[in-house]
Amino acid sequence: MIETAIRRYCLTIHALVAFVGKSISYLMPVLAFVVAFEVFSRYFLNQPTIWAYDLSLFIFGYIAALGGAYAQQQRAHINVDILYNKVSPRMRSLFNIISFCLAIFFVAIICKMSIGKFEEALEFNYRRQSEWAPHMHHYWVMMAVASFMLGLQLSSDLLEEGFHLLTGKQLLPDSVRNIEETPHD
Amino acid sequence: MISIELLTGVLLLCILVTFALGAPVGLGLGGIAMAVGYITWGDGLFNVIPTTLEATHFSFILLAIPLYIYMGQLLTRSGIGDAMFNASQMLIGRVRGSLAISVIIVCSMIGAMVGIIGAGIMTSGSIALRPMLERGYNKRLALGVIMAGGGLGILIPPSIPMIMFASATQNSVGRMFIAALVPALITIVLLITYVVIACKLDHSKAPLDKVPDVAPTLKEKWFTARDGLLSLLLIVAVLGSIIMGVATPTESGAIGVVGAICLAVLFKRFKPRMVRNAGMQAALLVSVAMWIIFGATVFSNFHLLMGVQNMVASFTQDLGLSPMMVIIMFQLIMLLLGFIIDEFIIVLMCAPIFTPIAVSLGFDPIWFGILMILNIEIAVQTPPYGFALFYLKGIAPPGITMLDIYKSVTPFVLIKLLVLIICMCFPDMVMWLPNKIMG
Amino acid sequence: ADHNWRFANLYSRGSAFGEVYESLAKNIETMSNGRIKVQVLYSGEGVGTTGILGAVKSGLITMGAPFQSMHAGELPAGIVEIGLPGGTDDATELTTLFQEKGWAPILKEAYGSQGLVWLDPYIQPAVYVLTKKPIKSIEDFKGLKIRAPGAYGKFLRNLGASPVSLAWGEIYTSLSTGVIDGSIGSNMIDHRDGNHVEVAKYMYPLPLAGAQVLPIIVNRNAWSKLSPDLQAIVSAATTVHAREQLTKSKLWESQAVAEMEAKGLQWSPAPSDADKAAWQSAGAGLWDEYAKSDKYSAELIEVLRKEAN
Ligand code: NA
Ligand code: NA
Repeated sequence: MIETAIRRYCLTIHALVAFVGKSISYLMPVLAFVVAFEVFSRYFLNQPTIWAYDLSLFIFGYIAALGGAYAQQQRAHINVDILYNKVSPRMRSLFNIISFCLAIFFVAIICKMSIGKFEEALEFNYRRQSEWAPHMHHYWVMMAVASFMLGLQLSSDLLEEGFHLLTGKQLLPDSVRNIEETPHD
Repeated sequence: MISIELLTGVLLLCILVTFALGAPVGLGLGGIAMAVGYITWGDGLFNVIPTTLEATHFSFILLAIPLYIYMGQLLTRSGIGDAMFNASQMLIGRVRGSLAISVIIVCSMIGAMVGIIGAGIMTSGSIALRPMLERGYNKRLALGVIMAGGGLGILIPPSIPMIMFASATQNSVGRMFIAALVPALITIVLLITYVVIACKLDHSKAPLDKVPDVAPTLKEKWFTARDGLLSLLLIVAVLGSIIMGVATPTESGAIGVVGAICLAVLFKRFKPRMVRNAGMQAALLVSVAMWIIFGATVFSNFHLLMGVQNMVASFTQDLGLSPMMVIIMFQLIMLLLGFIIDEFIIVLMCAPIFTPIAVSLGFDPIWFGILMILNIEIAVQTPPYGFALFYLKGIAPPGITMLDIYKSVTPFVLIKLLVLIICMCFPDMVMWLPNKIMG
Repeated sequence: ADHNWRFANLYSRGSAFGEVYESLAKNIETMSNGRIKVQVLYSGEGVGTTGILGAVKSGLITMGAPFQSMHAGELPAGIVEIGLPGGTDDATELTTLFQEKGWAPILKEAYGSQGLVWLDPYIQPAVYVLTKKPIKSIEDFKGLKIRAPGAYGKFLRNLGASPVSLAWGEIYTSLSTGVIDGSIGSNMIDHRDGNHVEVAKYMYPLPLAGAQVLPIIVNRNAWSKLSPDLQAIVSAATTVHAREQLTKSKLWESQAVAEMEAKGLQWSPAPSDADKAAWQSAGAGLWDEYAKSDKYSAELIEVLRKEAN
């Protein structure tokens, strides 16, 4: 009963995080296009834009931050796995529980500070310092969302590891971690 | 208040523990900084988060990372990267280890495009790792070659750390760029020599290409050569866009993306699915790299706010050593700093503290700067903590562990150490060319 | 010490200006008999130049010497404070503007609205533009791609140039390959430190801003924890600091120019009267625009207008 509820919670988070993670990847070509357009406009039209610089940085920040939860879901974040690979699977779950608690502590602070900055940005009408001067508030909303989602994913992973530590069984099917990896397409 | 020496010790210990537990590097470093910071400083330290976020996400220099990663992914998924290596194999395929040699040369060219370590390693890794592994190269050799070659990005001009060094010490950037050329060339030659000798001694490191049952027809050869030339042309175009002043080294990554897509269309390999999958993998890698950079920067910002730079400065004041010993001591300090901080911070911190001392002892600042760059290249590749190691792990296929990566770098780090020692003992290796060209 | 302060400034370690901030820190320590201890942090040592305002505001840093152009989006009045293009370079005139004509109280309020205490400002040398080709007449600016952020970019656009946004670390490479035709530096010392003369030789004789006025700011909570006598001591130390900046920066500016001239710096030919007039009007055209950005900017520009009439 509880097990089903936990599993449903985890799978919901997995679905949400995977959706966001895959969606932001569509920003990659947009980012390249924005920078390429600036080069084109500056070199061939002799008209540097006032927006490409900040826009490309915003897109960069969005990809970097929002992909964090998906990377956690796929366990793609880099770790030093020397001792980690040598211990038993249950010990590994214990290791993960400690690591993920530390990580949740970190992302919770990021989330809290980002919300604070968002309120500040609204109150003082914060913008970028460039001539284009785009608003900053959406960036802080995004950071709050990105860190919150990373926190959610970590909470799901914590449950998963805790379940494994206690029962020695897998909570979720392996298929949740299989990125479609087809190098030749 | 806790002394900075004690704090540094505590932080180092925490790093080792979290690494041993296998925690995600970026999140772990950030978590340590926040936890230790909360105890020693209080919740006021949490305010380091917003400024650090803005500093990392709004750094135009770091924008090279997503652009070059995406270019690398497009090249490998469209098969253009392979075309380059197929052509080179047609030329020198009979030499054992030839593919690794081609990879070193391609990495040097990528090094001439990018100015930071991350972009160099992740691009080289995207394009060149799989071809080597598929042909049965020993994985340690393959990984080591990528690491060593990709790391050349800061030694071959243009180089952001060199610009930072020159500015912090009021020296000529042009002079420094030129001074780096001979050491870079020595490194490349030594890397290739090592690959040739190592493969000769141990045939399992690099199998020879299988002779196909049916010899390739002239037409097939022509296609291989043509595809290879076209993909080489892309590299030339990206390099050209920098040299001709069309784009900055950061922006040139976008030129590479556009070029890669054009080539894919030309090769009839363009599929929306390919662009989408390349984007997905690239976005994941960008995110992984940036969360490491962010977490590590939070960590080093905390350490800097607590005054680690003053500790380094006061330590170097009362050494009482002979001039050459001082230089060696500086190298050791920087290698040790490489345990906990990244390439930019090492320059930011050490260039202004060390260089005046080196100059007062009668050494040339440009020479000292090149030593620093060579040193940083090593520092970011030495275990346990090194950005280059993390980038490589990010790009490597699933089965490869951090231990593989640690072991793979050893011979290549020794080569780079050798170059460092050569340049230290024979300053002319560094100074001859700039003196010849710039007087 | 009763108060442990962190003081972040806009320059990297090793820059000539560093010692002036170090001596401000020392003065505060000596004058307060060690009751306030000040740790100096250079750019990037925990906080980058772009983060100083936010860091002092949040209390991460107690005291800061920010560069207002970096904070145009957070505190627009700072852009007017630092000196809009075409402004005066006369130190006495500037002092009067701040102390007697009413800029100081407006700025105290502007910074105060963000939880910052605004202390005595100090003057730094002028902003110049360096180009790859000589500028023989103001017409030559037409179509040039010049790295110039914010207000300076708008000013150069008024002259027909195309302002470009670039990271500082890419200026050198971009000048050398020709991505850009010129760049402004925050002052002559900045041009020298960036080695830009190696790749662009011509300095235009008219400054974009005659002098730059930079503030020292303190976190309000930290400030209110000081007893009145300590507050007076910090204020007095910043006054000494302002004097030191003025004399030293003039000296350093001339040294930087001499060093660059030795490396081949040349001045573009002296501008004609028509050129000077065009230069002036390109600057005055910005007043209206900046007055619109927020109420404090409007008040500051109102004072300028009264002066001009
Ligand atoms: Na390079
Ligand atoms: Na290291």
